Amino acid sequence: KVDVSAKWKLTSGKQKKASVQWYVRVSEIPTGKISLLGREPHPQEVFYYESRSCVDEVDAESIISTVQVKLRGRDLYCRMRLQFSFHLTELSFGTFIDFLYIQILLILTESSLLSTTPNTPRTPRHITPSIPSRSLPARQPANVLEEARTRLHVSAVPDSLPCREQEFQDVYSFVESKIMDGTGGCMYISGVPGTGKTATVHEVMRCLQHASDMDEIPPFHFIEINGMKMTDPHQAYVQILQKMTGQKATADHAAALLEKRFSSPAPRKETTVLLVDELDLLWTRKQNVMYNLFDWPTRRHARLVVLTIANTMDLPERIMINRVASRLGLTRMSFQPYSFKQLQQIIMSRLNKVKAFEEDALQLVSRKVAALSGDARRCLDICRRATEICEHSAPNPSSTGLVGMSHVMEALNEMFSSAYVTAIKCASVQEQLFLRAVIAEFRRLGLEESTFQQVFVQHQALCRVEGLQPITVSEGLAVCQRLGACRLLLLEPSRLGVQQRVRLNVSQDDILYALKAD
Amino acid sequence: MAALLQHPCYEEERLRRVADKLPCREVQAGTLLSVMGGPEQHSFPSIFIYGHRASGKSHVIHMLLRELELPHATVSCVECVSVALLFEQVLLSLFGCDAASLLPRSPSLSDFVRIYRQQCSHSPAVQTRYIVMEKAELLRDMDANLLPALLRLQELVQDNVTVILLSEIVWDKFRPNTGCFEPLQLHFPDYSKGELQQILAQDSHPSYSAELYSSYINILLGVFYSVCRDLRELRHLAALNFSKFCEPLEEGKVKESDTHKLWRNIEPHLKKAMQTVYLREVSSVQWEQLQQMEEKDTGAVRGLSAHAHVELPYYSKFLLIAAYLASYNPARTDKRFFVKHHGKVRKTNFLKKHEKTSNHLLGPKPFPLDRLLAIFYSVVDSRVAPTASIFSQISSLVTLQLLAQVGHDDQIDAPKYKCAVSLDFIRAISRTVNFDIVKYLYDFL
Repeated sequence: KVDVSAKWKLTSGKQKKASVQWYVRVSEIPTGKISLLGREPHPQEVFYYESRSCVDEVDAESIISTVQVKLRGRDLYCRMRLQFSFHLTELSFGTFIDFLYIQILLILTESSLLSTTPNTPRTPRHITPSIPSRSLPARQPANVLEEARTRLHVSAVPDSLPCREQEFQDVYSFVESKIMDGTGGCMYISGVPGTGKTATVHEVMRCLQHASDMDEIPPFHFIEINGMKMTDPHQAYVQILQKMTGQKATADHAAALLEKRFSSPAPRKETTVLLVDELDLLWTRKQNVMYNLFDWPTRRHARLVVLTIANTMDLPERIMINRVASRLGLTRMSFQPYSFKQLQQIIMSRLNKVKAFEEDALQLVSRKVAALSGDARRCLDICRRATEICEHSAPNPSSTGLVGMSHVMEALNEMFSSAYVTAIKCASVQEQLFLRAVIAEFRRLGLEESTFQQVFVQHQALCRVEGLQPITVSEGLAVCQRLGACRLLLLEPSRLGVQQRVRLNVSQDDILYALKAD
Repeated sequence: MAALLQHPCYEEERLRRVADKLPCREVQAGTLLSVMGGPEQHSFPSIFIYGHRASGKSHVIHMLLRELELPHATVSCVECVSVALLFEQVLLSLFGCDAASLLPRSPSLSDFVRIYRQQCSHSPAVQTRYIVMEKAELLRDMDANLLPALLRLQELVQDNVTVILLSEIVWDKFRPNTGCFEPLQLHFPDYSKGELQQILAQDSHPSYSAELYSSYINILLGVFYSVCRDLRELRHLAALNFSKFCEPLEEGKVKESDTHKLWRNIEPHLKKAMQTVYLREVSSVQWEQLQQMEEKDTGAVRGLSAHAHVELPYYSKFLLIAAYLASYNPARTDKRFFVKHHGKVRKTNFLKKHEKTSNHLLGPKPFPLDRLLAIFYSVVDSRVAPTASIFSQISSLVTLQLLAQVGHDDQIDAPKYKCAVSLDFIRAISRTVNFDIVKYLYDFL
């Protein structure tokens, strides 16, 4: 029934690692845990089994990793893996084995007891927030286009990021050297949106975590904060403290605790890697948050590596006072916008031999996006939209061809064409006339601003020229304010009445083009 | 006339009773009633009613809502200095005090909508609920999201509710810059002379015949209609002056039919009333007392504006005169007016063309302290030491609002002032110190 095999591995230093595997029938999983899953376990399903209480005494870093369900013979089995790391000084070898056995037996007896006599569930102590699980499993992609669409989704970050090898290498070697030396440092990463900054850093962290699991580098702790997710820059302290120790404190108290933690020496302190995304939002008038973030790595005992990400290249020079900028240091890296070849390569690697696009179509998308911004997210969105257009335009849903140039062109038009021109084209006759009156009045005055009164005189003249019934002032104001609400015009508050000043929010050429096109 | 106020959902009898209370507003009430529809029917989300002061906006709404017994909340936006008060009043009158107590200390719009919906689920609307906002122009000064939210409150709370906004301002000056749901606009036109006559003639005196009162109203409108069409004001004046109109009848000098004599008697009196009691120079209590006293001195009592005489110290008077001269004379002409031997005057060159327009029309101009003191020393005959008292008198003239300090950037170094008194006032002051101010004013050369 239970097959326990322990594998031992001696690592460098004083730490030991043990990984234990055993098999349990699906029926023996406590019903409470199955109900947490919310559905019948699928043979390929992978889920987490958490039992924190039994390993608190052993200095365990990863308690129980994934639980896999396997078919063995006629019965379904659960394969569980337990991973410990412990210090030889604390436990002798023999006692550890005994201890482990006791723990496992405890787990199993508990689970068998639970499976036989389900008692009332206790109030969970350390509850983790969760969202309700879906009743049906997510739909599998049915055809090639759907397959392509899931692969092209922005959230589907691939394992390796193409075209960012150099940047990956730089960040990796920076962080790795700091971890190896046990020192700290700062790095500033900049680049326009959608150039793979955050994805690259995450990739680096994943690789480093793997390396530390393989005992190639010392273990470290990774924390991530995002300036956009905070209501106040001082919340950064609270979040860092909570992610490091699980403690909750007010901002001031958290800052004091962190200060103490980073400035005092402690044995067995791990290196902490802190990723600060959207750095520009942590700006305060006194800049004390930024100052602290960059000052802590310079402490002798801190062992803190800070990676900061923002969009503008000259942010340190622009908004930081000198003592903050100098602490940030000169380790900078800027992510260039993708060229069209790189964008093409990214899409190709995402699609991974799924044949859904024509070569030319891909090239068109990547060239257009590269010419405008070099934003990979934008590129992926356009491709996804093009697959949707292709699917809709196909005569019958079962036989859809490849995404061609026409579909891509349509998607590009949707995404890049100015909404203003469409809005002007679709406006009513009087609204179009009013825009023409605005231009006429601007030409007469030689200015880019006039009052509603002046424009209205022009409007009435235009009405007579066009053979329309001239509208009243009230209707004219309604027309004007409707255009203002669409942001085609920029207006002053309406309580000024006919004295309110009118400016255009679009270029005159756009209006003339839109009005002339038909 | 009552035929206009018809609706299949209400009883004829009741509608006729309502119509009797709304003289000369049958058309508007009929429109409103047809927009509101039956009590169970969904009404328009928001109705905007505008018209001049005293054109019967609130009266018509309240009569309709009260007489037809529709659930409604009336909120005056003047009273609601914060949105919290507004929400509380609405919830209080629609759902009772339990709902109003649910509001948090400083409620937001979403709190209001949440509690409203909660109450709605407890007591769903059988009849359309009405929220009447009086003086709705003040809603524009509250939170920017309040007016757009009220306009589509029906959609937000998913209840059969109609918001009625009453204002004296047209809708064009309400519209938020980001656009909003357009309410149904309804205009209440002014009462015509005939309608005013008809409404005013309704509250006749019990001891006199209705025809007499009607002829009195006719005379009153003949005097006042050209300056005042406000129903409330006219009604007030009619009540004040009726006893005077009846005096000859009581004394038995004339009969009721002798309208010409009555008119001769009352007309000068009404004309005097226009200058005194209508401008609130004399309060209505004083006016009634005067009527009882004797006929001769109506208007002999000095009104409010005649009291604009201030006792000032001697040098303060001269300071004020100097300030007036500095404000209304161009600085260029100071030499001519105030220096004894200023050389030859070239008459032709003296009056410049652009200065022909009267300075008194353009208002006072600011002047520096130095100029004020220079003119002051020139107009005062004796030698005056520039003591602290002189300077403190200048600043107390500022606190009395006879002078106004301009541009508060510099308090000590070179303050600038404006004179804020009228010509009549300064003339009275200069008469007390025997100073001929007109001789020194550029405008009166």
